[in-house]
Amino acid sequence: MTDLFANLALGFHTVFQFVPWTPAFPGGVTIPIPANILLCLVGALVGTLVGVLPGIGTIATVAMLLPITFGLPPVGALIMLAGIYYGAQYGGSTTSILVNIPGEATSVVTTLDGFQMAKQGRAGPALAIAAIGSFAAGCIATVLIALLGAPLTRFALAFGAAEYFSLMVLGLVFAVVLAKGSVLKAIAVIVLGLLLSMVGSDLETGVSRMAFDVPELADGIGFPVVAMGVFGFAEIIRNLDHGAGADRSLVQARITGLMPTRADLVASTPAILRGTLIGSILGILPGGGAVIASFAAYTFEKRIARDPSRFGRGAIEGVAAPESANNAAAQTSFIPLLTLGIPPNAVMALMVGAMTIHGIIPGPQVMQKQPELVWGMIASMWVGNLMLLVINLPLVGIWVRLLRVPYRLMFPSIVIFCAIGIYSINNAAMDVVLAGAFGLVGYWLVKHDFEPAPLLLGMVLGPPMEENLRRAMLISRGNAAVFVTRPLSATLLAAAALLLLLAVLPALRKKRDEVFVESEA
Amino acid sequence: MNEDSGAGPQPGGWRLLPVRGPQDVVGGLVLMAVAAFAFWASRDLAGMRGFSFGPGTAPRLFAGLLLLLGAAIMVGGFLRHGDPLQRYGMRGPFFVTVALVLFAVAIRPLGLVLTGILTFLVAAMGSPETRWGEAIVVGVLLTLGCALLFPYVLGLPFQMLPQVLQ
Repeated sequence: MTDLFANLALGFHTVFQFVPWTPAFPGGVTIPIPANILLCLVGALVGTLVGVLPGIGTIATVAMLLPITFGLPPVGALIMLAGIYYGAQYGGSTTSILVNIPGEATSVVTTLDGFQMAKQGRAGPALAIAAIGSFAAGCIATVLIALLGAPLTRFALAFGAAEYFSLMVLGLVFAVVLAKGSVLKAIAVIVLGLLLSMVGSDLETGVSRMAFDVPELADGIGFPVVAMGVFGFAEIIRNLDHGAGADRSLVQARITGLMPTRADLVASTPAILRGTLIGSILGILPGGGAVIASFAAYTFEKRIARDPSRFGRGAIEGVAAPESANNAAAQTSFIPLLTLGIPPNAVMALMVGAMTIHGIIPGPQVMQKQPELVWGMIASMWVGNLMLLVINLPLVGIWVRLLRVPYRLMFPSIVIFCAIGIYSINNAAMDVVLAGAFGLVGYWLVKHDFEPAPLLLGMVLGPPMEENLRRAMLISRGNAAVFVTRPLSATLLAAAALLLLLAVLPALRKKRDEVFVESEA
Repeated sequence: MNEDSGAGPQPGGWRLLPVRGPQDVVGGLVLMAVAAFAFWASRDLAGMRGFSFGPGTAPRLFAGLLLLLGAAIMVGGFLRHGDPLQRYGMRGPFFVTVALVLFAVAIRPLGLVLTGILTFLVAAMGSPETRWGEAIVVGVLLTLGCALLFPYVLGLPFQMLPQVLQ
């Protein structure tokens, strides 16, 4: 317990640290500024700003803004990225409530009751409850991360190569099972990602693999390049298909009164707590189920409600529960990343990409060697959630105005911003063309009903998977049985196999689809 | 599976391979082609040496897996009814791609300011709803914003103006 407080204290110390800073313009005087807290604030604000823009989901937001954090020191960069992440999520729920367009999959269910509330002139309370629920969930999840971080890290340090490989397999299987859509297709996309990660020089021998002597490919296909292509450019191209001026039924009614009534608070408090619980549990799973968490929380609220028919007609619990659940899951999904080094979802995969660029290999060692990085990030989540609550509600008016920006002006802006961002990473013009190519790949994937998010997971997990597979095989002198004879590894693999089996069984498939059915309503 | 259900084989002529889910058949085929390409691209990489992996082992392993998965998806498209192929837009993908290639070619000789405005305008052609007046204003403002943000606020070095002017 004392450990916990010491760790959290270190985290808050890191967040509130003052560093000397000299402005870049001539004549600037060096002054101490609370750099990390400012970065957290800027990240949360920029994340919300971009997340609110229609047609840009959370993954696209984080991918787009990745390059602007590269010039920062590692701790600051990760704090800012985390801020961007939950800012973008908050922005996504804002669009769900105000324009009936979910910013991303995790806020799809929020549209059901949130938009109805907005139509009844209660957009203010809906937005407020979404923010309050997210904050409450964030507080609980932060404590949970702090509680589970240290023991899980100790557990992970006992892992050998075989266990790591099996754990990554389990993580990927979880990601597939908890996602929407065909299991088979999701696995195929992951394997495609694994294959893409093989391009470049071999980690052991340094031999160039599948790079065709293209110098830009010698170090492998850049992760930000793929992320921005598949999520930035592909989304633009896809949105253009529907016509740039998609019918956006923006709520025209003036938003009066932000504050929820006492009755609203009484109705939503238990929903927030239940949502947080469901979200925290599903978020910790290696599959990082922020999406399924919001669906599950909504379905659960509807099932236990005394009058289920209120749902879909502006029930405040229908906003409170899924919004708390997706925020709790989003935060607890940092647990597998920070303790085991395994990204449970595409956004966490982007985090790994960012860490790698700063020379940090995520895993249990990070928590021991750079505790200020991990705990600073954890503390910043709490601070960031608090800031979102305080700043965003007064800013709702600005977000509403942003929603009126026509797509015909927005999409060329995103193109140019992403192009400059990619170019700035390595000063490589070829990277921009590659990202464009991946944009077309992403467009193709979507057109054939392949979910593109697992591609990022495969790309990030490819190198460590190969490394651990090779090491395990070398240690066991070529005996592949090592994965099933070592008890821990065997357990993990058995769990993965069982999960996969359950996912393809017709009865459970139906249950899984049932949870997602609300989105088609 | 019931052969007579819905849009199975056409009544006119019995086809050898009734395609029930064209989306999956094409999707699986393309994945198989990617896997085959990976096999070809990694053909000269060393494989297993004794019990240690060579650089070519893992790529071939994953390519083999992708081949199997692609085949399974394709077979699924023959067995189960699925979605028809979706229409591809031409205008959007074309102009966005051209804009990016233009950016890559122009950024070194022309510098950020000119390239940015050009890229913006070419990308804007991707939508039939673009109004040129506002597009030019927004393009110029946005490029100037980026020209301040990236080099000055974020400290990333950029060449601003065309090389001939410097």
